[in-house]
Amino acid sequence: MSAIIVDNISKKFRIPHEKKNTVFQNIVGLIKRQFDYEELWALKDVSFEVNKGEALGIIGRNGSGKSTLLKIMARVLYPNSGSISLNGKVASFLQLGVGFQPELTAKENVYIYSSILGLRRKQVDRVYDDILDFAELKKFENMKLKNFSSGMNLRLAFSTAIHAVPDTLLIDEVFAVGDEAFRKKCQDKMSQFKTEGKTIVFVSHALESVKELCQRSMLLNEGRIVTMGDTEKVINDYRAMLQGHQ
Amino acid sequence: MWQYRELVWNLTATDLKNRYQNTALGFFWSLLSPLLLALVLYFIFRHLWGRELDFAINLLVGIMAWRFFANGTSSSLRTIVGKASLVTRVYIPRQILVLSNTLANIISSLLEFIVLLPILFVLLGYLPVTVLMFPLIHLIYFWFIYGAGLLLSSLFVYFRDLNQIWQVVTQVLFFCSPIIYPLSMIPDYLMPYYLLNPVTQFIIMYRDVMVAGNLPSLFSTAVVISFAIAAYLVGSLVFSKLQRRFAEEI
Repeated sequence: MSAIIVDNISKKFRIPHEKKNTVFQNIVGLIKRQFDYEELWALKDVSFEVNKGEALGIIGRNGSGKSTLLKIMARVLYPNSGSISLNGKVASFLQLGVGFQPELTAKENVYIYSSILGLRRKQVDRVYDDILDFAELKKFENMKLKNFSSGMNLRLAFSTAIHAVPDTLLIDEVFAVGDEAFRKKCQDKMSQFKTEGKTIVFVSHALESVKELCQRSMLLNEGRIVTMGDTEKVINDYRAMLQGHQ
Repeated sequence: MWQYRELVWNLTATDLKNRYQNTALGFFWSLLSPLLLALVLYFIFRHLWGRELDFAINLLVGIMAWRFFANGTSSSLRTIVGKASLVTRVYIPRQILVLSNTLANIISSLLEFIVLLPILFVLLGYLPVTVLMFPLIHLIYFWFIYGAGLLLSSLFVYFRDLNQIWQVVTQVLFFCSPIIYPLSMIPDYLMPYYLLNPVTQFIIMYRDVMVAGNLPSLFSTAVVISFAIAAYLVGSLVFSKLQRRFAEEI
């Protein structure tokens, strides 16, 4: 059973020589006849499947299309061609604490962020205490978020996120922030998700983390899949590719 | 959209809390400003210019109806751009952002009208029964403003000077609506064009049910519903086309 099927996806970005984002600039551009833009294919004919309960790593150099691919899976970006199908509830973690409101209290923010991640109010009621305990912020639940330190903010966001119980998690480098102890906590949590049978797609530059979490990985370069398969082998290919470039 | 109802409500509540700074007093202040505006205008027209009572009462209703349109549309402009992380970092139907903004505005507007009712009662000496039609008209008005909000917020992503343009447009519309002068001042040959302004149609209806005590005719009800449907259809269509590239443009 596939959790994610990506079928022949291509994504093109248009990069204008002169960015026009007002009516005025558009009129000026029309008069001067400036329509030049560069086309950049961020992804080209990418197809693959992710099985249910599998953790897939995506690696590649900067600008290889990793994040674009993840954003398309998260349905934030639309591909120019190709299609994607997702089974089950998907939560994307391209950033932690999306929609946090500095003027509201920690408690209110937990409810808002949870509803963005697709949780019902009743479901949040049940895990609310766990969220605050895990974040070690029970004492501060009625404090406004603007008075939180960045570490407290991060802990609250992370704790809320991991209690959202999706079937599939799309994770960009977000968990690679914070101190050593925090990163350790994230690693443990992701391993736990894996043993619980959740599907994970993990984009990272931290090859050790990828190796630890994912049996299967994909190497992207210039918007195409170079290799896909056993993580060990894909990482070796990646290292060889990097050396070839030097 | 239904499965996102709790998120819609949360975003609406957030919007209102931010607007009222989470305090009862903030809420009080936000009611005070339209109230003072209305009373000042009432005083000027009734006592300084000596216009009849009817005109002054109609002015109050007109101002309140106008404020929903003006605030609803101008605050919709930044709903997408201003909540960038909800567009570029997670998937939610993006119409939700506009919907919750319009909902926050209709709640503010309802409160203003609730304050207006006792004033009307004092000035008129009674309240017509037809005021019970108010919720229905307000609902149709809401769909009209929501549709306009979809159009404006999605265009603003691509044209960031739209707020200046829209400011001018609303100013012109204000003077093209029968708010600070009565409808009867419009010459006959201009009337057909004048009635093309949707806000005018809505204001006439509010006055009918809240002041004159007339039930709106079937024809004028059909007209405002058509305006609302047209705005919603055009807004939705443009929005769903443009939203595909929101995450790239923000």
